[in-house]
Amino acid sequence: MLLRWMRRKVSMALLLIMALAVAACGGSGGAGGEGGANSGDGDTASAQAPSAGQVKTETKSAGDGEDEGTLTVYLNDFDEIIAEMFKEATGYDVELVTGNGAEIMSRIQAEKGNPHWDVVWIDAMPSIHGLALDGQLLEGWTPENAANLKESFRRHVPENGAYYPTGAHAAGLIVYNKNALNPEQAPQSWDDFADPSFKGEIGMADPAIAAPAFPFVAWFFEERGMDGGKAYFETLFANGLRVYPKNPNVVTALSSGEVKAAVLQESNAYQMRENGEPIEIIWPEEGAPASVRVAAIQKDTKNPNAAKAFVEFLLSPETQQALIDQGEEAYFEPSVEGAQPKPDRNPDAKLVAADAAWAAAHEAEIKQWFADKAVQ
Amino acid sequence: MKLQLDQSLGWSVSAILAVLVLFPLAAVIIQILLPGVFFGELRLGDFRLLLELFHRPLWLKSLVNSVLLALGTTLLGTLLGGILATVRSAWRFPTAGMLDAAVWALLITPSFILAQGWVMFAAPNGFAVRMFGWEWVPSAVFQPAGLIVIMALSKFPLAYLSVRAAMEWQVGQLADAARLCGASPFAAWRSIQAPLLLPSYLAGAALVFMDTVGDFGLPASIAAVYRFPTLPYSIYTAIYTSPIRFDMAGVLSFYLVLLITLAMLLQFYAMRRARFDFLTARAVPAVPKPAGKFGWVAAVFNVGFLLVALGVPLGGNLLMSVLKTQGSGLHPDNFTLHHYASLFAERSELVNGLWRSLAISASAAVAGLVIGLLVAYVLMYSAFRFKCWIEVLSIVTLAVPGVVLGIGYIFVWNQKWLEPLGLLLYGKPAILALAAIAGAIPIIVRIIVGAMAKVPRSLLDAAQLSGDSFIRRMRRILAPLVRGALVSAALSAFGAGVFDLAVNTILFPPGFMTLPVTINKAFENLKFGYASAATIFGGGTVVAIILLVELMFRRKRKG
Repeated sequence: MLLRWMRRKVSMALLLIMALAVAACGGSGGAGGEGGANSGDGDTASAQAPSAGQVKTETKSAGDGEDEGTLTVYLNDFDEIIAEMFKEATGYDVELVTGNGAEIMSRIQAEKGNPHWDVVWIDAMPSIHGLALDGQLLEGWTPENAANLKESFRRHVPENGAYYPTGAHAAGLIVYNKNALNPEQAPQSWDDFADPSFKGEIGMADPAIAAPAFPFVAWFFEERGMDGGKAYFETLFANGLRVYPKNPNVVTALSSGEVKAAVLQESNAYQMRENGEPIEIIWPEEGAPASVRVAAIQKDTKNPNAAKAFVEFLLSPETQQALIDQGEEAYFEPSVEGAQPKPDRNPDAKLVAADAAWAAAHEAEIKQWFADKAVQ
Repeated sequence: MKLQLDQSLGWSVSAILAVLVLFPLAAVIIQILLPGVFFGELRLGDFRLLLELFHRPLWLKSLVNSVLLALGTTLLGTLLGGILATVRSAWRFPTAGMLDAAVWALLITPSFILAQGWVMFAAPNGFAVRMFGWEWVPSAVFQPAGLIVIMALSKFPLAYLSVRAAMEWQVGQLADAARLCGASPFAAWRSIQAPLLLPSYLAGAALVFMDTVGDFGLPASIAAVYRFPTLPYSIYTAIYTSPIRFDMAGVLSFYLVLLITLAMLLQFYAMRRARFDFLTARAVPAVPKPAGKFGWVAAVFNVGFLLVALGVPLGGNLLMSVLKTQGSGLHPDNFTLHHYASLFAERSELVNGLWRSLAISASAAVAGLVIGLLVAYVLMYSAFRFKCWIEVLSIVTLAVPGVVLGIGYIFVWNQKWLEPLGLLLYGKPAILALAAIAGAIPIIVRIIVGAMAKVPRSLLDAAQLSGDSFIRRMRRILAPLVRGALVSAALSAFGAGVFDLAVNTILFPPGFMTLPVTINKAFENLKFGYASAATIFGGGTVVAIILLVELMFRRKRKG
């Protein structure tokens, strides 16, 4: 009796195994056809030109049929307020998946065969640009509210309209501990970090692990050329630069005295000050490398109406103002006219950003160089 | 008949482990060969990646560091756990119960939180220097040897539980016989008790090794990563790049699995050389003897040890949870209970998250216990041919970083053809439970196997000859004999599951935040006070549940 039951169970389990194995090896039939045709395959610079796939996509998804389910948004900030705000403004429900930039990107990439997201909204423009090159984003749609975009943000919109910027903040600012350094001693520019007086006293987040650290590093490589960028960071390594996995670790190191000064993401820096930590924030004159937050719609979204409404919503001055007034990551420069940044944010804040296409094309190379260099 | 049962049991267990562990892992490793296989692209990968390990400075260094760290921690942690378990099982002394509670607490606390506590304590401006003036602490802690000591202090509970579970039954008569023949107490211990405990020591050591080799949080925070990168760190760098290199993660995971297999083979070899099943009908439950005059000595040592192993990391978090700001130090007006109050604020996801995490890990612990018992049975008593593979599969999830397993789960459970079968589990809470079971199996199996090693097959055979069914044999003979281990196994799996961060962050369904995700988010938003308060509250709840269940079972046994 038991034996027969066991045998039946075993054969069922075996069937399941075989089914799974077949699916895993057989190229997952249902998922075919996606992605394969229009992946840029290293030919990264050509991203700006609208691809042949664009027209096809347009006719397919812009038909604006009925939405099939609840809008799902993948994001890394503002999850505490955005769902309620959006529901109130448009009546659409929205489900959120929150994670840091790297987690969100790993999910999106691992789901590629069967995406669960409709909109992605994160401050990792180069990575989203990579998704666009890979043909995973809805192209050729222009939100009405894109007309609100400031001139400085228009240049971040790719020609195929695959994503739209909703704001930008510094990926790295100079922050120092007031108990360890006085204003005269404190570093004022990025090159000051190479000064021998800061040997072993500077901290930053690891571009290979922390999402915001890459746009920071990338700007140096674009601005100074690959060799110039390498030379700059080599001097920092020689000066005992301490690299921590993520920005929160840098914060702990800074307030516990492990380092006297650090490169910190803007919202972390202002949050530290708000928490009453004894730190001072410096905006370097040559500019702070920026992280641009962008929103993009998944190519085959089943909820095109809600997804488009969400992007429109993000590009309205009222929404961006509300994010600045009530959000947790409130320190950023809004992308549209009519919204004002936090009053205590430096009015002369100068943001400089690496070109998304350039940064996306060189991301792997720079990260690998950085990681390998640092262990030698 | 018996062989047939062995085979079908063996195959069922293999099937379960294949679904839970092998497929997800293989799905990641296969990225080396066929990078696009889950997205409908059939193209060959670059096999040379496998050899890159020996060329890329970061990877090679990671491998060496991981091996070094794991060996050091295993040695120290097993020694520590073994000694503590021996003393605890042999003598009764005041504060002994605290040791058990501390072991549970350490086991379930996620390593990034332990690390945070150590950093707060040992940083140049940390509690050690500011409160006690111990200027030597920072340089002693922030170096590879210091890291190994801290790892050992955090991972010893795995060895402790394994050894302690095995000492549940007393084999006084064997040692008595030795003493009657004139052996000194030490000789009796060395030649009888110690060798008999070998399997549980090895099981404990294997667990410590796996858990260390796969740990990302502690090494990353203690040794500023660039001076001590480990394999999990390099795996993260492969995944956290764009375009994401799943193939590189596959290569590094492959080497991790190789390391584990090597460790398992060593253990297998050691166990093959002897039999350890010594229980007979005359065995009695071990009862600790009063330590008498030395009781207070043991108590002082115990409290001192716990202050370091648990006091430092949790103390750091506890302080953090009641301080308004970290930098202002220990002034009376810097203390607040505000962070605890905010846990229950209106918009707080914390209480919901805690409930979800408790429910998921409780169901995972129960399911994992049943599976684990079957796996352990096959490993110990069956003549199943592919035992060695079952052994490896049953432990591998401990060492593979959760993020790798999580991505594997997405690959496997997010295939479109599963949808009509109702098996498209990615995006549903069920996938968290599945992953939690996979995560729980190593601990459960190791603990049960360690205890089962002493139960001779002849006891089960005797029952079978008298006509007992398989289920009855398990229920009436095996389960009572390894009961302590079963309870320990389920509880530790439950506790560890509640805080399993990596798997949770990559798999939680939309709108279904769990406790570790909430805590981690607070950490990333620099709400250290809130995060610490949530950790203390969540951890306290879990420890309370565990102690309650333990108490219930201990009571029942006495009654």
